[in-house]
Amino acid sequence: MVHFISKRLQQSLILLFLASVVCFTLVVSAPGNVAVLIAELRGAVATPGYVEQVAEEIGLNKPLLMRYVDWFGDAVSGDFGISYRTGQDVSADLAARMSITGTLIAGSAIIATLLSLALGFLGALWPYKLPDRVSRGLALLGASTPTFFVGALMIYAFSVHFQLLPSFGFSGPETWVLPWLTVAVLPAAVLSRVVRIGLEEAMSSPFVLTAKSKGLSRTAILFRDALPNITPLFINALGTQVGLMTATAIIVEPLFSWQGLGDYFLAGVRFRDFMVVQACLLIFLTFFILVNLIVDLAVLLTDPRIRRQWS
Amino acid sequence: MQNEPLLSVKNLTVDLLTAKSALRPVDGVSYAIRQGQCLAIVGESGSGKTVMNFAPLGLMPTGVTTNLSGSVRFEGQELIGLSEPEVRKLRGKSIGFIFQDPMSALNPVRRIGRQIAEMAELHLNMSPRAAEARALDLVKLVGISDPAARLSQYPHELSGGLRQRIVIAIALAGEPKLLIADEPTTALDVTVQAQILRLLKDLQQRLNMAMVLITHDMGVVAGAADNIVVMYAARAAECGPVDKVLVNPRHPYTRGLINAIPRRDDPIGSEFRGLPGVPPTLGAPIQGCAFAPRCEFAVAACTRARPPMVPTADSNVCVACPVVNQGKAAA
Repeated sequence: MVHFISKRLQQSLILLFLASVVCFTLVVSAPGNVAVLIAELRGAVATPGYVEQVAEEIGLNKPLLMRYVDWFGDAVSGDFGISYRTGQDVSADLAARMSITGTLIAGSAIIATLLSLALGFLGALWPYKLPDRVSRGLALLGASTPTFFVGALMIYAFSVHFQLLPSFGFSGPETWVLPWLTVAVLPAAVLSRVVRIGLEEAMSSPFVLTAKSKGLSRTAILFRDALPNITPLFINALGTQVGLMTATAIIVEPLFSWQGLGDYFLAGVRFRDFMVVQACLLIFLTFFILVNLIVDLAVLLTDPRIRRQWS
Repeated sequence: MQNEPLLSVKNLTVDLLTAKSALRPVDGVSYAIRQGQCLAIVGESGSGKTVMNFAPLGLMPTGVTTNLSGSVRFEGQELIGLSEPEVRKLRGKSIGFIFQDPMSALNPVRRIGRQIAEMAELHLNMSPRAAEARALDLVKLVGISDPAARLSQYPHELSGGLRQRIVIAIALAGEPKLLIADEPTTALDVTVQAQILRLLKDLQQRLNMAMVLITHDMGVVAGAADNIVVMYAARAAECGPVDKVLVNPRHPYTRGLINAIPRRDDPIGSEFRGLPGVPPTLGAPIQGCAFAPRCEFAVAACTRARPPMVPTADSNVCVACPVVNQGKAAA
């Protein structure tokens, strides 16, 4: 167990390092000269001389390797530099915005889990009957509707038409519901199929015949025998979906005027604010790697066969 | 012969309907078993011996529709036509099951203790704690060493023989009157086979249960069973007490089966004596005796009409063969 965790932590650190290289390379190779933009932002005329002065000031003229080492060295110690656009400390911005995105992803993950389990079990309890067809129809609909459109529909339905919930802002639970639902729709749809199909597959295993021979009802077998068998599978799929939620946050946060990391990232991209973009990408990748690490540990705890390999 | 048998099957026919095809794996089979007795059902793969025992108790894979006709009476209660919830009440409680492959019969992610204890909770109305205690007793009963530790283990941590003992413990947990064992030793090592068979036989006698032993191993039959039904292509070919049928087989198929067992005085390197030909494919309707095409004694009458199962000169032994029963039908 300890061996497994230390090994996975080592792998995660290597992965994180590689991810930071990719972040840096991507941002550096993006078109456009940031020095020109900064010069324009400062209200000065972007004469070649002034642009050169700005470039020198923010260290653009150093060799790439040096720039990477400078940036990564600072980033590891928690200093993500100064935003080119606002001149503010990126780390402070990140800290303020992280809790907002965290609220979004945590709430959405819980809703997606509950919703997908409910839909999946609905189908498995009445296979090929009406509830199953409804569940499959909803999953298809949810998986094929773009998130920005789901968000717009949510705002139209719950804020404009029924006037139940506010359509923007981050101030208390009632403002959280719509963004949560918007982000949860796609993962819930995908995961409900994982649950439904996983349960069906588990129900055709030989041990289900044993469970039937014990005199257990189909419903009891679904919960007692099939559910524990799909748990590792479900956690894996959930991990992937939660990891992808950072991408969804980029779309959903501006939609509901949430000033989270997604919104920050988008603003950074728009103004070629390299420091912000790099920092956000690194945070997103760290989150992804962290989620995968947690998933591996959770699978280890729920599947005794894997647990044994590592004990 | 005075009291009613525990399980009495009369003229049972099972039709399996899948999305693509219709099969008749069991065609008009009758047998009975009394309390404390062991009945062996012998036949080659696909002869319908498993379906015959599982279908009336609702133990078929999902997606398969079964059509049953005839009569299956357990303790005087007719099982055919009974609803699934009513059949379910019998499963586990009155009738215990043991399966062929212990490697896959247990849930891999649940502790063994829970898998046994839930039977006691379900059928004996025990509290979880009392059920755990009963699980411990059962694990001791089936002769597993270090019983307390086993309860908290998972199936993959045990060997095949131990897992089969766990499956037996589960089958016994509801205190059943009848045990249906579907090839309980087939998937095990030869050395373990004998242990498991001895355990089953011993438990059956000690707990005074009836046992249906589905097998294709004549050695298992000779060692454990009181009576035997020989199945061929969905039908019963011969039935009677084991000592009579094995010593003096009458049906040509039974004779062929017993003759095929290698003997000690066979010269080294000699060929196995097999039955010529292959069994008929299921699904095609069979005129007359199903074994006739492979039978060395076949006469014209064999292919004309299906031979009835009738008592032979020894009235305890019944055979479905016109040649063996020649002249008896007229008498």
